[in-house]
Amino acid sequence: MTKKCLVWITALFMIYTSQAQDGFQSLKLMDMSGFQDQSGNWQIVGSVEMNPNVDVHHNEEPVETKKKKKKNTNEPPKAVTTKPGSGVLVNLPTEDKKSNLVTSWEHGDIELDLEVMLPKGSNSGLYLQGRYEVQLLDSWGVKNPKFSDIGGIYRNWESDPARSYMGKAPLANAAKAPGLWQRLVISFRAPKFDANGNKIANARIVKATLNGVTIHENLELPLPTGGPVKNNEVAMGPIMIQGDHGAVAFRNFKYKLMHDLDAELTDISYEVYHGEYDSYILANAATDVTLSGKQDQLNYDIAEVDNGFVIKYKGTLKTPEEANYTFRGSYGGQAMIKVDGDEVGRGWRNFSGSKKLIAGRHQVEIVYFKTRSWVDPYFGLFLSSDNGHEKALHAMSSHPINVSVVAPIFIQPEGDQPRLLRAFLDFEGDRDQRITHSIGVGLPSGINYVYDLGAGNLACVWKGDFVNATPMWHDRGDGSFRPLGMIQYLYKGSSVSGSVKSKGYVLDSESGLPTFIYEVNGQEVKDRIYPDASDSKVIREVALTDLSGSFEVTEASAIKKMDNGMYLIGDNDYYIEILSGQTPEIREEDGKTLLMLPIDSNPIKYSIIW
Amino acid sequence: MKTLKYLAFIGLSLVSIWVMAQATEEDYYPIVTIPAPEGVLLEVGGLTTLPDGRVGISTRRGDVWLIENPYMQNGGLPRFTLFASGLHESLGLAYYQNAFYSAQRGELTKLVDTNGDDKADVYETVFSWPLSGHYHEYSFGPKIDAEGNMYVTANVAFGDEEWWRGESRVKWRGWTMKISPDGEMTPWATGMRSPCGIGLIDGELFYDDNQGDWIGSGAVWHVKKGSFTGHPAGLRWADEPNSPIEVNQETFYNTFDERRIREDGRAVKPANIQNEEDPLTLVKAKETFPEITLPAVWLPHAILGVSNSEILKDETNGGFGPFAGQVFVGDQGQSKIMRVAMEEVKGEYQGVAFDFRENFQSGVLRMTFGKDGSLFVGETNRGWGSAGPANSGFERVIWSGKVPMEMKTIKAMPDGFEIEFTKPVDIESAKNPDSYQGQSFTYKYHSVYGSPTIGNEPLEIRGVKVSEDGMKVRLVVDNLRQYYIHEINTPGIKSADDGLEVLHPRGYYTLNNIPEGEKLKDTELSKRPKKTAQTKSVKAPKPLPMRGEEVLTYEQVMPLLQKNTCTACHKVNDKVVGPPFAEIAKRRYTTKRIVELIYSPEPQNWPNYATPMAPMPQVPKEEAEKIAAWINSLRSGD
Repeated sequence: MTKKCLVWITALFMIYTSQAQDGFQSLKLMDMSGFQDQSGNWQIVGSVEMNPNVDVHHNEEPVETKKKKKKNTNEPPKAVTTKPGSGVLVNLPTEDKKSNLVTSWEHGDIELDLEVMLPKGSNSGLYLQGRYEVQLLDSWGVKNPKFSDIGGIYRNWESDPARSYMGKAPLANAAKAPGLWQRLVISFRAPKFDANGNKIANARIVKATLNGVTIHENLELPLPTGGPVKNNEVAMGPIMIQGDHGAVAFRNFKYKLMHDLDAELTDISYEVYHGEYDSYILANAATDVTLSGKQDQLNYDIAEVDNGFVIKYKGTLKTPEEANYTFRGSYGGQAMIKVDGDEVGRGWRNFSGSKKLIAGRHQVEIVYFKTRSWVDPYFGLFLSSDNGHEKALHAMSSHPINVSVVAPIFIQPEGDQPRLLRAFLDFEGDRDQRITHSIGVGLPSGINYVYDLGAGNLACVWKGDFVNATPMWHDRGDGSFRPLGMIQYLYKGSSVSGSVKSKGYVLDSESGLPTFIYEVNGQEVKDRIYPDASDSKVIREVALTDLSGSFEVTEASAIKKMDNGMYLIGDNDYYIEILSGQTPEIREEDGKTLLMLPIDSNPIKYSIIW
Repeated sequence: MKTLKYLAFIGLSLVSIWVMAQATEEDYYPIVTIPAPEGVLLEVGGLTTLPDGRVGISTRRGDVWLIENPYMQNGGLPRFTLFASGLHESLGLAYYQNAFYSAQRGELTKLVDTNGDDKADVYETVFSWPLSGHYHEYSFGPKIDAEGNMYVTANVAFGDEEWWRGESRVKWRGWTMKISPDGEMTPWATGMRSPCGIGLIDGELFYDDNQGDWIGSGAVWHVKKGSFTGHPAGLRWADEPNSPIEVNQETFYNTFDERRIREDGRAVKPANIQNEEDPLTLVKAKETFPEITLPAVWLPHAILGVSNSEILKDETNGGFGPFAGQVFVGDQGQSKIMRVAMEEVKGEYQGVAFDFRENFQSGVLRMTFGKDGSLFVGETNRGWGSAGPANSGFERVIWSGKVPMEMKTIKAMPDGFEIEFTKPVDIESAKNPDSYQGQSFTYKYHSVYGSPTIGNEPLEIRGVKVSEDGMKVRLVVDNLRQYYIHEINTPGIKSADDGLEVLHPRGYYTLNNIPEGEKLKDTELSKRPKKTAQTKSVKAPKPLPMRGEEVLTYEQVMPLLQKNTCTACHKVNDKVVGPPFAEIAKRRYTTKRIVELIYSPEPQNWPNYATPMAPMPQVPKEEAEKIAAWINSLRSGD
């Protein structure tokens, strides 16, 4: 029944989604198909721009759907403006049009990956199965996020303690500033029911990240949250998005429907060869079987020795449907796997490989061998498909769970003083872009940044906790730390032309904030980076005495001047607001867009808003 | 101490032999752990004494602490003040003209407290050098000379695929840099691999290195401008205009194969070539490349350390005991301190190294003398492990006031050596040439990790001459070999007054030059007594069981383990530098396989041990088999 339903739903999807290779489908957002009827507050547009300085609720007039309009300086700035086209779903509620949006399709287990944009002061929510709300709110600048902030699991309002659920705050506030695209990724498991309809497993968030920051991990959702489509729990339900609280926009809406994999490995036979067969060639060619037999489930324990053995398994894999299947091996030693005669994977301690298989029976051959005495013997084989959860095909005792995680070293500022710490920074998380002469500055207010001393430039800014120094201080370490929290990388390189020579930094005796000093062509530059009064933006102030030429504020794939005078950087990644008097110039160079300021006798000053 | 006095008293009146077993390092140089407040982690990277008696510590976590009253006078607590923080793995600290200087990974930094609150508010970059970002690119120092010039040394990185090969990916990795007070850098010398220890001794720069590729064993080098001490990675920058070194790296590798081997598309780690005919040594390489600087003093690997660190001259004028003017060298892996006495022969430094003090709680990295002549020791072992089990430590060695029975120094003579003792020797035993033993050996110079000892040859001691006051002994040796390390052992020597054995009876003299001068006449020498049997004072090794299959007992195997330096890294049940013997036993290797592994270790089999084992082909096969059989006997329940 369920399976039939799935097939039918899948067929329907093809109309309003496009299928990606990895099993994800994207909502095309060409029109409102894929959603149930609504009162018209939900629309498909080509692009959306939100003014981060204008509260969406301050503007009593209906927010405007942009048509050709003459510049009218008397007109108050709009919180939201849109341009026609497709690809963006936007909700612009009015007094009489403020429906929630419900998908015409339903989901159980789901992998969800989307981008959301909220104007200042707005509020919405995304209900998994129409019943479990992940809050969407303009929580920019909130220091201690609650269940009611963006990414939080909302509470319900039941008075019966047995039905009451108080929600759960996100692990960190990963909110971006209003008007910026924010990426939300959720791996969700639906509640499970027995044949009589009794719930036997709670709904669960395997993992949720907002803007790359983990906000929930392995979290059960024991009860529906407030305002569900229906106050019960079910195997399948639609996604609902709140439309009555405020404007919100979505794009890049992708999802993958998941189900348990109904595959099994049967008719398992094995042959064990004792001896030091130290290569795939030797192991494959092993003769003189020591012992052989049959197994119900894969288990290495028939080897009889800890080391110096080859096990050759053969079995029949029954697959329920045509799909791309991934075989993942995890074992002590070396192994390779063939499916229907084709090698799918091999390797030292792990293999992983995929093969497209039709529904039916398939021959699986595995060669597992071990000649290194210092590795414990174990063998596990896991199977997954694009839409099928990973399933163990081995006996539990053959692959013991061994979780070994180092106790992390987190560094935070203490008291009212900033914490400064030099470390390597892997720019954009990329080891190949490692910055070697850099220093992290963590402020008690939760604003953090890394300054590139070698280039004399601000490398990145983030909010939340300061850094994880485990990579640097555990064991020998690799000299680097990892920023914690929602990070915005700026650009790598110097802000001025000429060779930069760091002179270090001095600390303010009161605030403890550093002023970085460097020389360019023998001229001294003083660079200060500090939070604004609201502790939500970063201000950079650079005194370039006696230098000439221009100063690079930032670079990105695109830079756009907004109506409010701010600059929108990249693909709605962050804003720059120039606070000093110089006239900016947007310049194209080497396929990049640069925001430049002429150097004059006044310090350069701008803020970064993200 | 009381016990010792008491026993010494008995010894004088009764039998001195009782006392001999009782003297320990602790009697002469007790170690005191300095209590740090809870939560203060002192992974010491730098250590220096301030003019006002306070001690400064910089840590691998980037903090700089000021410690007031580390002497704990009148039982008072030491007081810790955080002077600076946020440095990038600081591995050196110096105090000069009211400021601290510290090498971070990527720069030399001056730390100044301008407003007098004992907190640095200026973190000034004196000189910054490039890094590739490899973890092993540590930088050490500075040591500051009388003119304010600062010496800093720079570790090599390791290869990505060839993780065993030292690389100088950017200037000036593998170099010593000299940085003037106003921040001008002069590349000073190269050949460094892991130059953790640097020291200025009488205005001259010395450094020590750790065994590894091209570095057969740890050693102390005298580093002059333009020196090339052996590791070729830094030669990559020899052609730079400001390089004082002429050796072209390409020429070097064309002359000496760096053994980049590929098999099946993968790089293969070069292994020691057993029974290699005429292996290359640093001395032979110097014939082709005269810029090669030989070690002034080798510190034989696994005997005198496995990862040498700080070099510090005793300038306490006797406040730290009888070794004023000598040099102490720390060791991280073995958690101990060695003692080095150097002399100039034919214009070059050379000398002898002894063990001095072991049993520190963690790896010895840094040392500084306090105002009272005691020695502060800064320790860390994170990432490498050490004989001392703690991860870090700040300790202090205090001279007890008692003079240990030691070889104070050994000097080269035209015909052998002159040993000077700290106390008069028992003349009778000292006159017997059999009271002395020794051997000479050297190391290979190759791209393999470490080297076995090669060319081992017992010393042929022709005779001795003991000075009238019993303080000095001339050893005449028939088979002196220039450039070789000469081990001199004094198993038969006792002190005259209390019958003590020499506390550390082995010295290792690096004989780069044999001095000119008058040799002793045969008639001046005391020779072996006519009796053919060895005298009682010389311990003859107990005969080993005859049958090859018979497994030795712990007591029987221990002399073999010590002689072959196994115990430097392995204990029976405890993890030290290498795995415990009992863990090796669990691997179920055959005896034959263990012998193979002694000769050609496979450190990849022990991924949780940081320091790879060096090949030990010098272990006689018969002994290796006995050791292997004993190891396997530790496995129970088979």
